[in-house]
Amino acid sequence: MSKRTDLISSITTNLSGHSNFTVSSELPFESGGNPLYLNNMNTVYVNEQQLDVEELYNTLDQGVVNITTTTINAYLATDAKEQFSDIDTVVANLLTAGDILTNAIDATKSYDIDVTDDVITYTFEYNYTTI
Amino acid sequence: MAGVINVTSGSQAILTLGNSSVLAVPGAAGGFSVPLVQDLSLSTAPGTVRYSTLDSTSSSAFTTVVENSVSLNMLVDDDAFFGNSAVTDNTVATNGLWTTSNNKTEVFFSVAFEGTDSGDYYLSGKGFIGGLAPSASIDQAVWISPMEIVVNGDLAKTTLP
Repeated sequence: MSKRTDLISSITTNLSGHSNFTVSSELPFESGGNPLYLNNMNTVYVNEQQLDVEELYNTLDQGVVNITTTTINAYLATDAKEQFSDIDTVVANLLTAGDILTNAIDATKSYDIDVTDDVITYTFEYNYTTI
Repeated sequence: MAGVINVTSGSQAILTLGNSSVLAVPGAAGGFSVPLVQDLSLSTAPGTVRYSTLDSTSSSAFTTVVENSVSLNMLVDDDAFFGNSAVTDNTVATNGLWTTSNNKTEVFFSVAFEGTDSGDYYLSGKGFIGGLAPSASIDQAVWISPMEIVVNGDLAKTTLP
């Protein structure tokens, strides 16, 4: 399974107690000029994973060991005027949902907020560094 | 091949070990080429003694014995480090680097400078494996170990037939 699939599964589990929010397995492509997470508010969309592979070790017999950084973004848009009472817990659960790897050298999770008109969009970034 | 020796092709600088001098020749069938070597250094250090005389304002010197050694750093390969029982014709490969070092078994070795083609130079000798100090950390991600061969005697310069 890809890390994106694992992440979607983890998010689904972590949001199971929050009936106002759902998770989509679709990519956040644009439809009607807007990304899906703006068309379907309160639904988490997980983008395709991006890989960055760099050489960590090289040897005289060309035994290359690579280090791979996997970046996955997830998006959640919700009403900025009347936020759900459990939004803080939902955001926290979306961060902890990123704990999907046990063999990562480094794993970071963060999110940015963008408020446009009456919509607040949370953009989560999950980074995993593996060998 | 005259000129600078480029080792980036991956088949030039090779450390080969064997329980006989024949097995330790670069490219020899049954030779144990130490894999995943990051860097490889040969040291030939003549011992010197300095002395002063009343008729000179500079010190003089004479040489004693030469101390030779081979040192390297490598990513730890499990077969190379702990041995490969499937190898039956070279006990250094069968036992692995650690056991060979721990048993203080003398090994034959060669360091190829230019690969294994006819006419390529290599230095060879015999000695004892030491200096193994494998270390691991989460940032380092893999096991890495230094290694040294304390050379017993001379290094011989040879070209491959």
